[in-house]
Amino acid sequence: MYAKALCHWLTITAVAISLSPLAQAADYVGGDEVTVLQGFKPGGGSDALAQLVQPRLSEILGVDFVNEYMPGATGAVAWTRLAKQSPNDGSTISITNTPMLMTNYIMNDAITYNTDEMTPIANVVTDPGIVVVSADSPYQTIEDLFAAAEQSPGTVTIGNSGVGGDDFFTTILLEQAKGLSFKKVPFQGDGPSATAAMGGKIDASFNNVGNVYGQVESGNLRALAVFAEKRLTSLPDVPTMKEKGVDVVAGSSRGYSAPAGIPDEARQQLIAAFQTLAKDPDFQAQAEKRAMNLDVVTGDDYRAMIDKMESDYREIWDSVKDQIGR
Amino acid sequence: MDSSLVMIGLANVLSVNNIACILGGTLLGLFVGAMPGLSATMALALLLPLTFSFDPATGLSMLASLYVGASYGGSIAAILLRTPGTPSAAATVLDGFPLSQQGKAGQALGISLFASFFGGLMSGIALLTAAPLLGTLVLEFGPVELFAIAVLGITIIGSLAQGSVISGLLSGGLGLLLSTVGMDLTTGTPRMTFDQINLFGGIDFTVALIGLFSVPQALTLIENSHQGGKVASRITDRLMPRLATLKQLMPNILRSSGIGIVVGLIPGTGGDTASWFAYNEAKRFSKDKSRFGKGEIAGVAAPEAANNAVVGGALIPTIALGIPGSSSTAILLGALMVQGILPGPNLLTDYGDVTYTLIWAVILANVALLVVGLAFTKMSVSVTKIPDGFIACAILTLCIIGAFAINNSLFDVGLMLGFGLFGYWMSKAGVSPAPMVIGLILGPVMETSFQQSMLIGNDSFGVFLESPIATVLLLLALLSILQATPFFRWLRMPFKRRLKQS
Repeated sequence: MYAKALCHWLTITAVAISLSPLAQAADYVGGDEVTVLQGFKPGGGSDALAQLVQPRLSEILGVDFVNEYMPGATGAVAWTRLAKQSPNDGSTISITNTPMLMTNYIMNDAITYNTDEMTPIANVVTDPGIVVVSADSPYQTIEDLFAAAEQSPGTVTIGNSGVGGDDFFTTILLEQAKGLSFKKVPFQGDGPSATAAMGGKIDASFNNVGNVYGQVESGNLRALAVFAEKRLTSLPDVPTMKEKGVDVVAGSSRGYSAPAGIPDEARQQLIAAFQTLAKDPDFQAQAEKRAMNLDVVTGDDYRAMIDKMESDYREIWDSVKDQIGR
Repeated sequence: MDSSLVMIGLANVLSVNNIACILGGTLLGLFVGAMPGLSATMALALLLPLTFSFDPATGLSMLASLYVGASYGGSIAAILLRTPGTPSAAATVLDGFPLSQQGKAGQALGISLFASFFGGLMSGIALLTAAPLLGTLVLEFGPVELFAIAVLGITIIGSLAQGSVISGLLSGGLGLLLSTVGMDLTTGTPRMTFDQINLFGGIDFTVALIGLFSVPQALTLIENSHQGGKVASRITDRLMPRLATLKQLMPNILRSSGIGIVVGLIPGTGGDTASWFAYNEAKRFSKDKSRFGKGEIAGVAAPEAANNAVVGGALIPTIALGIPGSSSTAILLGALMVQGILPGPNLLTDYGDVTYTLIWAVILANVALLVVGLAFTKMSVSVTKIPDGFIACAILTLCIIGAFAINNSLFDVGLMLGFGLFGYWMSKAGVSPAPMVIGLILGPVMETSFQQSMLIGNDSFGVFLESPIATVLLLLALLSILQATPFFRWLRMPFKRRLKQS
């Protein structure tokens, strides 16, 4: 009994010490230098996140972050490296983009990693899905778009960021929820998809808020709906799909994960660092300035988020994979 | 255009700090550009993290001037060593190296420098005065129009086939075939990847280009290294081109700059494409086509004016709409994002001070290029005094570093070496690698835009005729093909006869 109480106290003291900034700055068990594998080229969305998060995280943990860019196969090159070939001592982590992280291997057997070979640390941002049309498009509301698709199924052209990206799956989810059929036009990324919508080359683009916010604000694009739980503070006039009776909430998220089996202490330290970071008002302000929608989900909750996404997207893919490829 | 913002930008750029950054950036760009295997995009990507700690205007000025410097620098190695320093300089090899073999390396380099300067300056002025106007043009180019451009580009293959047309078409066809490796855009199916995930993204044409051009040249240098007597080292002609020569080349330079600006504008095409287009047009407009490929200065001026004009052209949609016009400007846009500036159409208004500083930096960088470039080129000519064997080793080393640096991937190094051996065999067999590179550059553009066009047009080919831009471009392509067939000569025969009679 006595021993148990002592043990209890010791744990509390240990937690308290590990939470005090001094102790954290002193020793991160994963070493002084943490390599961050990035699955995309420098200057992209992942890099923007890294530049926002890592300098602050570096102060909290007292380590240096070194970015290693390994673009290729929509991130799969870097994530395969993380899962299969990286030391699991906490010295290597990676920026993990969901749902790309799972759809990569759900859709291609040749991609062999899976999320069980990773230790999810924290999700940082979620960029909600959004439906945009060109400024002079005849579609004024999302109902107009639905009506057009109902009238002539399979002809309304909807751009997405590529097969396997979040927008591609969001389109399918909407089709299934409303019993509609769109003509899905894949582009090489969110930018080209938005540009095509702006020029009226396609009827609408399913995109992400962060990529098109500037164009919506300046009136080059009109937002018809967002795939978010509730209306966004940045776009208060744009209705959610939920309001329109379509229960689809989707977006593209970015967070950090480590290889499977890293020391529990390293995992706890990283998670605590992200939790501290989330409360930093300067970090919140900078994220808002960059139109990054903070959605910090740590540890087991991030694991649950990834697991749910994996089963959801596997189900969607199984239901449509035979139709793709015409 | 808000003139006060223009002036603020000018005042900003003229600070000691920024001028130093522009000079430094240009010099660095020249250096990187001149090194075979290291490209502008790569240098931008490597320098980008360094600029995060800079003030946005300073960082951008440095990146932009690096881009400008590298666009010219690529021609130095192309002319002196027959290895393009950057992908955009591949077209410069065709006439630049023969000139250098004839002992006219100085002249070729001088023309290249001045053509680059004029091309860059013109695109800078277009950027300053007409960005909002030209920027909206970009929206006219959707998948349908992009497909037409790619088709027009592919027709260049026919005219590039030096010597045998059959081997040129073979090389081009092989390039197109290799460009299909990787994930299919519309289905996500990996094609010809043999479950090798490094191939899922396709073959990076920069990797192929390094292998096809630089490795065979290095091997040839080693082969001939015991034969002493190098022509290029006896440069007796001056670097500064004569006024009369420049005057004569002006129409060519202006046309090529125009091509560069337009090709730069269009997202998905950049300096690598523009230089081939400009080379082809210079040849088409030339009175004596047979001199191309044997050391024609017009064949050096055209691609060099075009690839520097691409810098300003590609920046036009970037600053007017927040849409990058090339892979290099995509990195510049990334730099803005990281600095907390959201790219969009408000770059010229809300962030006008930063944007106009960037525009002035591009213009100033071209002036810097002329000054720094002259000194740098003089220095770099001495590379020809180094024994061939050493140069060959240096080229191979740079090729390996360059191929690795593109994606930080060792697989790409192996791929590059594979292409190198194949390129060596091609050079022995007398097959030009140029058409293959064009196939690799334009193949993915053509395929992707074709699939998208078919989706948009409900599987009807009519979609290409509904767009006036696409129709005109496709007609031009058809004309360009017919020009190379006997059919066209039969058509022209009666006219020629009439001309002779009159």
